[in-house]
Amino acid sequence: MKITVCIGSSCHLKGSRQVVEQLKELITAHGLEEDVELSGTFCMGKCEQGVSATLDDQQFSLSPENTKEFFEKNIRGVLAAK
Amino acid sequence: MNNLCADIGYRSLNKKGELLCGDSVEVTSQTDNSNSKIIVLADGLGSGVKASILSTLTARIIAKMMAEGLDIEDCVSTIAATLPVCSVRGVAYSTFTIIHLIDNEDAEIIQYDNPHVILLRQGKYVELPTTIMKIDGKEIYKSRVSLQKDDVFIAVSDGAIHAGVGKYLNFGWERDNIIEFSETFCQVGYTAKTLTTILLDKCNELYGNEPGDDTTVCVVKIRKREPMNLVIGPPQDPDDCSKMMSLFFSKEGKHIVCGGTTSMIAADFLRKKLIPLLEFPDPEIPPIARIDGVDLVTEGVITINKVLTYARDYLAENEDYAAWSFHRDGASQIARLLFEEATDINFYVGKAVNPAHQNPDLPINFSIKMRLVDELATCLRQMGKNIKLSYF
Ligand code: FES
Repeated sequence: MKITVCIGSSCHLKGSRQVVEQLKELITAHGLEEDVELSGTFCMGKCEQGVSATLDDQQFSLSPENTKEFFEKNIRGVLAAK
Repeated sequence: MNNLCADIGYRSLNKKGELLCGDSVEVTSQTDNSNSKIIVLADGLGSGVKASILSTLTARIIAKMMAEGLDIEDCVSTIAATLPVCSVRGVAYSTFTIIHLIDNEDAEIIQYDNPHVILLRQGKYVELPTTIMKIDGKEIYKSRVSLQKDDVFIAVSDGAIHAGVGKYLNFGWERDNIIEFSETFCQVGYTAKTLTTILLDKCNELYGNEPGDDTTVCVVKIRKREPMNLVIGPPQDPDDCSKMMSLFFSKEGKHIVCGGTTSMIAADFLRKKLIPLLEFPDPEIPPIARIDGVDLVTEGVITINKVLTYARDYLAENEDYAAWSFHRDGASQIARLLFEEATDINFYVGKAVNPAHQNPDLPINFSIKMRLVDELATCLRQMGKNIKLSYF
C-alpha cells in the first residue's frame, strides 16, 4: 500500500506535519514498514479538502484528528482482511 | 571589472540609558558606478540627541557628496560650515572614517579622529600606508590599497576601544587587542555582519552589558562574487513555463526552486523526479524536496515568509543567527544561501494566480507572495547584494 500525503502550503497549514508524524508512528508501532509506503507530494489541487492524501488510488481528506481512525480502518482493517 | 565585491556589515550599541545612538553609519554606491561604494562611520561629539544629529548629518553629507564624485576637501569644508556649533564645548564636529571602495579594485581610507581602520589580509594585520593632509586646520589621514580577496577592514568608533576601561581592563580594549581578537576568527568564513556581531558582543561583554559610550563596529569584507538564482511561482501564461525555466537554469551559480507548483514545473523541465522529503526539522516550515540538478527545492510562501523574518532580524539584532545558521529546514537553508553565500541574486518571479492559494480560509494569497518577494529583495539590497528581479 502506498499513502501519499500532501505537504503543500495549504495542507501544511492545516496540519500535514501532525498527520505525517502520526502515520509514521503508527506504521512503526504496528511493524508495517514492509507493507505500507509513506510518501509526500506538493499541492494535489484539492486544498479545500486538505489535508489531502491518497491511499493507492483512493482520495482521502485527513486531519490530525481523524488520522488514527483512517489508519485503523483503511490500512490495518484492509491489511487484516487480506 | 574584476570578480570581487564587498560584503558590508555594521551595528551599534547605544550608551547605557540613551535612546539614540551618537554614532552613524551610512553606506551608498557612487551615483555613476554601483561597483564603487562609500561607507562612512561618524561619531558625534557627546551622546544622545545632539550627538546623533551631528553624526547623522556628517555621515549623510559625506556619503552624498562623495557619491556625486566630490573631493574629500570639499566634503570636509562643507561639514565644518554646516554643522551646528556645540554651545557647551564651542566646537562643532563629529569624527569620521570613510572607506571608499573604487570599482572593487582599490580602497581609499580617509579618517579624522576615529580609531584607525584595521586591515586584516589573509587573516593577519597589515599596516596601511598613510599620509596626513591638513584641511581647515584638521589633520586627516589618508591611505590607499588595492583590494585582495578576503581582505577585512574593521572600522570602530572610540566606544569600542574604551570598552572595559576601569571595569575589566585598565586601559580599555585597545586597538592591538581588537586586532589580536579579530585575527583569531576572521578567516573562518563568517560574513561581515557576523564578524560585526562577534566584535560588538565582545565590547558589550567588556562593558558588563552597560556600554559607557556609543559603540559601533563596521566590517567590510572583500570576497569573490557568488551568483545565485531563485525561482518562485508559476508564470502568468502557462506557455512561458519552459522559457522561464530555461532562462533560470542557464544562469551561472546555484539554483533554488520555491513553491510546490513551481517545483513540479522545474522537475518537468529537467525531466527529473520530484521527491518531497517527509522530514520536519522546523515544525513551522513545510519539508523540502529533491530534484536532481537543483541545489534546493522548498515550499513557497510559508518558507519565504520565514526567510523574510530572518532577513529583517539579520539587518537588525541578528538574534536568529544561531537558528538559521545550521538548521536543516528550507527557510534556514535559503537564508544561508542568500545571506551568507550569494553576492548577486537573480529572482525569477512567476505572476500566476495560484488556484491552490485562493482558499479564503488561508492566510496566504497571491498579493502576499509578490509583497514577500519585494520586501525580501529590499532586505537583501540592504545587505549589499546585487539583486535582479525578472517577472513572468
Ligand atoms: S496544498 Fe494540499 S491539496 Fe493543495
